[in-house]
Amino acid sequence: MTERNGAGWGHRALQSMLLVYLLLPLAATAVYAFAREWQNTLLPKSWTLDWFGSMFRDTRFLEALWNSLYLCAISVGLSLIVMIPAVFVLTVYAPRLESLMKGIVVLPYAVPGVVAAVGLIRTYSSGPIDISGTTYLLIGAYFVAILPYMYQGIRNSLLTVSAPELMQAAGLLGAGPIRAFLTVVLPNIAPGIVVSTLLSFSVLFGEFVLTNMLVGAHIQTIQVYLYQRVGESGHLASAIAIAYFVFILIVSMALMKLGQRRSGRGKG
Amino acid sequence: MNSYLDLQGIRKNYGTTAVLDDVCLQAAEGELVTLLGPSGCGKSTLLRCIAGLADLNGGRILLQGRDLERLAPRQREVGMVFQSYALFPNLTAGENIEYGLRMRGDSKRSRQRRTEELLALVDLEEKRDVYPHHLSGGQQQRIALARSLAVQPKLLLLDEPLSALDAQIRKNLRAEIRNIQKRLNMTTLFVTHDQEEALTMSDRVCIMNKGRIVQAGTPEEIYAKPRTEFAARFMGSYNVLTRPEAMRLFGRLEGSSDSFALRPESVKLIRPDEEEGARAGGKRIVEGTVDSVSVLGTILRYTVDSGGVRLTIDVLNDGRSIGIGERGSVRLALDPSQLLQLEQEGA
Repeated sequence: MTERNGAGWGHRALQSMLLVYLLLPLAATAVYAFAREWQNTLLPKSWTLDWFGSMFRDTRFLEALWNSLYLCAISVGLSLIVMIPAVFVLTVYAPRLESLMKGIVVLPYAVPGVVAAVGLIRTYSSGPIDISGTTYLLIGAYFVAILPYMYQGIRNSLLTVSAPELMQAAGLLGAGPIRAFLTVVLPNIAPGIVVSTLLSFSVLFGEFVLTNMLVGAHIQTIQVYLYQRVGESGHLASAIAIAYFVFILIVSMALMKLGQRRSGRGKG
Repeated sequence: MNSYLDLQGIRKNYGTTAVLDDVCLQAAEGELVTLLGPSGCGKSTLLRCIAGLADLNGGRILLQGRDLERLAPRQREVGMVFQSYALFPNLTAGENIEYGLRMRGDSKRSRQRRTEELLALVDLEEKRDVYPHHLSGGQQQRIALARSLAVQPKLLLLDEPLSALDAQIRKNLRAEIRNIQKRLNMTTLFVTHDQEEALTMSDRVCIMNKGRIVQAGTPEEIYAKPRTEFAARFMGSYNVLTRPEAMRLFGRLEGSSDSFALRPESVKLIRPDEEEGARAGGKRIVEGTVDSVSVLGTILRYTVDSGGVRLTIDVLNDGRSIGIGERGSVRLALDPSQLLQLEQEGA
């Protein structure tokens, strides 16, 4: 008993140190975002919401936020439309091709963002498909970037609910393949798909290298905007960073909640 | 041949290995036929071929004279209960049962009536609105059975439906499935690796090995007269003896078989004063040493060594033979008429 308490104490100390290490920069940024005057004191002399105010008044901020939102949404949406049927068909009807798919799907991890960006720019800045600097190129790149998350997420949900067997059972009860998919597979993998969707969304929302290199000069996303404002005002940049962090936090928490609900249901 | 179900020369290969090798099987309407065999013998594959979940490499499947080969699973009018039940987790027990009726386009009223009927059939009326993951294994099993019966299939396939349940529930469900099957006069193929299950439930048992049906018959025939060594070993605790071993026990042998089977309950442990009577009844008396005794409820199972031959002997646990312990010497009365000749494998 005492031994366990001792270990608990050690763990807690280590955890606290880690938390401090991780959260201190964030806390400093947050404080900085609310500070009016902060020169030679430990904490700011006076506080203000001006930085947040000017951030929200800046139409470029809202525009950038909107750009990020719709670009991510379109990419994730597109990925869902393509990947759900594709992974479903692969898992249920052609499981032998899975090893091939696994190889393809990890490629986005293997290629560094900078390399991918340079390659994409070279390929698409001339020739038959001249789309460099456009949203099309970015959406295409985003699609590839979230491939691993989407593939794994959808595939795992399918296997967790034993989709092949559900399809067979539904088929023997008279359901055609599409109807069977819609009535007994899709409802059961929906929670897993929601998790992959949110994960992909937050990955894309935080992605900077590809975005900046591919379309940074033409389209301002929230990341590009943040990068450009850092030089202007530290306070404002901090405010943006905090707003951005809170947004990602909300997405992540929603993600965790959904994950818990799903595993709870599985166990029950 | 006008059987209700007629399987003719079914072949199925995975790559170059034959999983099913010329399987022929007929079933009459309302019959429950068990496919019994060790895992990997092809029994589940055979079910999947009949259901249309796997393609054939040869042979024909006729159900009421209709060739099923070109039909999709949903057109075959075959119901199947999977080993894992494969209940739809997003639907309640009632909705699961209703699913096939909905796909068929039955009216809401008739769907509801039929669902109630089936819930009553499997005795789970109060579970209609419960989701599968809140049901026990046995209840899930019964819902899966009700679901496949709802659309009144012409043939019911059960793929080891009881193997995931614990012993007591398995026994009860065994009786219940048989009961329902008889009441509906439902032609059923039942796959299992449990010989007790096969013997208690079936009208007919087919023992399968390596993609072939090695012996088929009523449970009584299958148990009393295993034809091959494989069948004898698989049916339980049969003593399988080589020719020299049988010679040593019985003295002289009829026939030319190389192996013989002896039922464990046909050997009697006798007291010295019973020896004369036994000899007069045509029995052979040999001496042996008890290696081990185990209590199997109503039966005591002895392992006895007699001149280097190990025999399993079952004795009714009626309190008379308690005196014999391990290492004790015993007299065995062997009945030559109970010694079965076994055919060569594959003959």
